[in-house]
Amino acid sequence: MLFHTWIFVLFFLVFYPVHVLLRRTPYMLPWLLLASYVFYAWWNPLYLTLLVYATVVNYYAVVLMEKTGRRKLWLAVSVVVSLGLLGFFKYAGFVTDNLNFLLAHLGTSYRIPAPGILLPVGISFFTFQGMSYTIDYYRRQVPREHSLIRFATYKAFFPQLVAGPVERSTTLLPQLYGVPPITRRDITDGLSMFVVGLFKKAALADYLALYADKVFNAPDQFKAPALLLGIFAFGWQIYFDFSGYTDMARGVAQMMGIRLRLNFNNPYLATDLGDFWRRWHISLSTWFRDYVYIPLGGNRSGQFNTYKNMILTMVISGLWHGAAWTFVIWGALHAAGRVVTRELERAGFYREKVPKLAKQMGVFAFVSFAWIFFRARSLHDAWLIITRIFTSGWADPAFPMLALILVLAVWLYEHLYESQHKWVLTFAPARVSMVVLMAVYLTIFAGSGSQPFIYFQF
Amino acid sequence: MNEATVAEHTHAIPEAIFASHEVRLAGQQWIVAAALIVLAFASMPSMWQEVEKFLPGPDYRTPYALSNDYWLFSRYSRWAASRADTLVIGDSVIWGQYVGKDQTLPHYLNQLAGQDRFVNMGVDGLHPAALAGLIKHYGRPISGRKVIVYCNLLWMSSKRHDLQVEKETPFNHPALVPQFFPRIPCYRAPWSQRVDIVFHQNVPLLGWTDHLRVAYFDQMSIPAWTTKSPYQSVSKTALRGLPPPDDGPHQEPIPWTERGMEKQDFPWVELDSSFQWGSFRKALETLQARGNRVFVVVGPFNEHMLQPASLEAYARLREGVAGWLREHGIAYYMAPALPSKHYADASHPLSEGYAALAKELYADPAFARFDADERGIASPKGGA
Repeated sequence: MLFHTWIFVLFFLVFYPVHVLLRRTPYMLPWLLLASYVFYAWWNPLYLTLLVYATVVNYYAVVLMEKTGRRKLWLAVSVVVSLGLLGFFKYAGFVTDNLNFLLAHLGTSYRIPAPGILLPVGISFFTFQGMSYTIDYYRRQVPREHSLIRFATYKAFFPQLVAGPVERSTTLLPQLYGVPPITRRDITDGLSMFVVGLFKKAALADYLALYADKVFNAPDQFKAPALLLGIFAFGWQIYFDFSGYTDMARGVAQMMGIRLRLNFNNPYLATDLGDFWRRWHISLSTWFRDYVYIPLGGNRSGQFNTYKNMILTMVISGLWHGAAWTFVIWGALHAAGRVVTRELERAGFYREKVPKLAKQMGVFAFVSFAWIFFRARSLHDAWLIITRIFTSGWADPAFPMLALILVLAVWLYEHLYESQHKWVLTFAPARVSMVVLMAVYLTIFAGSGSQPFIYFQF
Repeated sequence: MNEATVAEHTHAIPEAIFASHEVRLAGQQWIVAAALIVLAFASMPSMWQEVEKFLPGPDYRTPYALSNDYWLFSRYSRWAASRADTLVIGDSVIWGQYVGKDQTLPHYLNQLAGQDRFVNMGVDGLHPAALAGLIKHYGRPISGRKVIVYCNLLWMSSKRHDLQVEKETPFNHPALVPQFFPRIPCYRAPWSQRVDIVFHQNVPLLGWTDHLRVAYFDQMSIPAWTTKSPYQSVSKTALRGLPPPDDGPHQEPIPWTERGMEKQDFPWVELDSSFQWGSFRKALETLQARGNRVFVVVGPFNEHMLQPASLEAYARLREGVAGWLREHGIAYYMAPALPSKHYADASHPLSEGYAALAKELYADPAFARFDADERGIASPKGGA
């Protein structure tokens, strides 16, 4: 079920009043869990069994940690099962392809049959959320959750189930205790976030996707300007798509009185790669920081080990995004970028003399370059795009002016938001006008098709 | 986990930054915004009618390319209901697929009447299930008017035409057929799309946005259109006016025998189990419930094109249709087959065919009674 469809509107219109009625009763959690399972099963009811299985494993692993005292063993079981599911469903095809490639190079005629598994939507997200609980319990950061229903609701909470924000047992689970207060402000703020998210997805991301898809699906047909604009379009598309989803998720949750983490904070205004990752997909970046980077040693053992850990974390993060070498390279590029910008920031000249805007432009250019690997259909395509940017010459890129104007408007808005003139944006008539214009634009201009969110595939 | 821990964790959530693109409205501001949005949505379609000139002249027919512009159909219905005596609704046989606008059935009826009393409201591809939807959702403006409904039995000539095949099959006007019930086996649109269609059928504003897409932006959303035509102005394009009506024939007006078409053996469906026939009846019921005075013209089908066995089945079907109309007191005319050379294909007459059909229809006593009925006054049930 997609947020920006009438189906979701109908679903929410049924769910929400009942939720409000039941929230002071013991039936609130079962109702929320049921709604979450319906929401998830809408894609493919079979994959619901997977979610239930992962939930039961995570829950009972912690029960057994407590009952048997063998914490390390049951943590290992839980992590192996979680990663095993993720590995099987997400990486089986990738591993098979690579093994077959190796077998072909060794001259054998045997080929491992392709598994042909469909990736269950949101598996990467709910796997990480479940692991967060077992690891946090193991680290004695959270108490054991005694209610299976509450834990299952935490793991399947429908607003953020399929594309995040990746919540933690320390933040979401406690909110499922007692009666979540729903204030008038929660409803108006939730609605505000939902409308902005809807606009970002339906009006901006889906618009830019038309150009980006055209270019990335046939890069050999385009010359340098179109390729550059295609990369630019994808960079903004994925940002609007993903941040739009999380805005809607946070909005829906807030209307239920539940706060989800901030996941994006104007990432294209970042001044270095570290800053970028503190602004982009914040819930995932912090997950990797807390459960991968720090356990690897973090920055505790000198410069070399810090960079080694940083690179390893970013490469794993790349692989988390997709089972292909293009994602590994994307992660590696970001790792390299982080190392370089971290070193640059140590130099006084760079830190103090280079204008902020130049740093922002540099980071945006680098992130855009890395997006080539993220979006290209293959390594061959990625390389083709890069070479054609330098060799194919000039041709009219035929980029829609309206899309350009919209992106520029958002970019200016972000600059204004982070400047001392932010007060302009808090001026009530300006905000009301923006909401009215967004609603009118969505109704008249936006396409009627409902494109799925990019991050569903991860 | 105790309550203190809960509170501690809840308050640990950062509150400093609200969202990545903050457009935060308070309760009263939402009320103002909602009022402005409702005002804009309610006024835009009617304001647009002031901007967009729509002056259908004599023998007007909806431009072929706008066959799925149902908002325009609704607007045309309003115009027709206020100006004309009788509205002629049907598929491309009424529209006049192979003839010019002055060679259609409504044109010849006007000629025989000596004044412009009949309006061509034919829509290409309007099979009975779509007809029922068009009347139900977009035909309110013609309530209470006299209506001639054309019944083309071609839509019952096979299970595929009758939308009864199990295999997913594309068909005309999916946005007009029932989306959920009764189930159409060959219609496999996803639920979200069906719900979207239901909203578009029932919210005039959404119908108007569809009109903009169909009439000005090559049936595309505006983003898709600007991606295809990046340097064209959206506003200039939207203000260029409606496409001109199709005055000439849509396809070459030559007899079916010259097209190389051969006799065929149509696997007619049974009337009792026909989905299209059920839909046609539903369309008539809707019209009658809205106080329309209804007259049904059945055929004329190109019987020369039918193999003997198929002809027999066709005759049974015709009898069944006539029997039902008689039984329900609905005025009708069963058009006999025209000469072979007057057909362009299985169901579309050529100009001479329309002229002959109009002449025969005009001479029919039941039609004469229907035609003589006082303008605008409708009986709740039509009578033969």
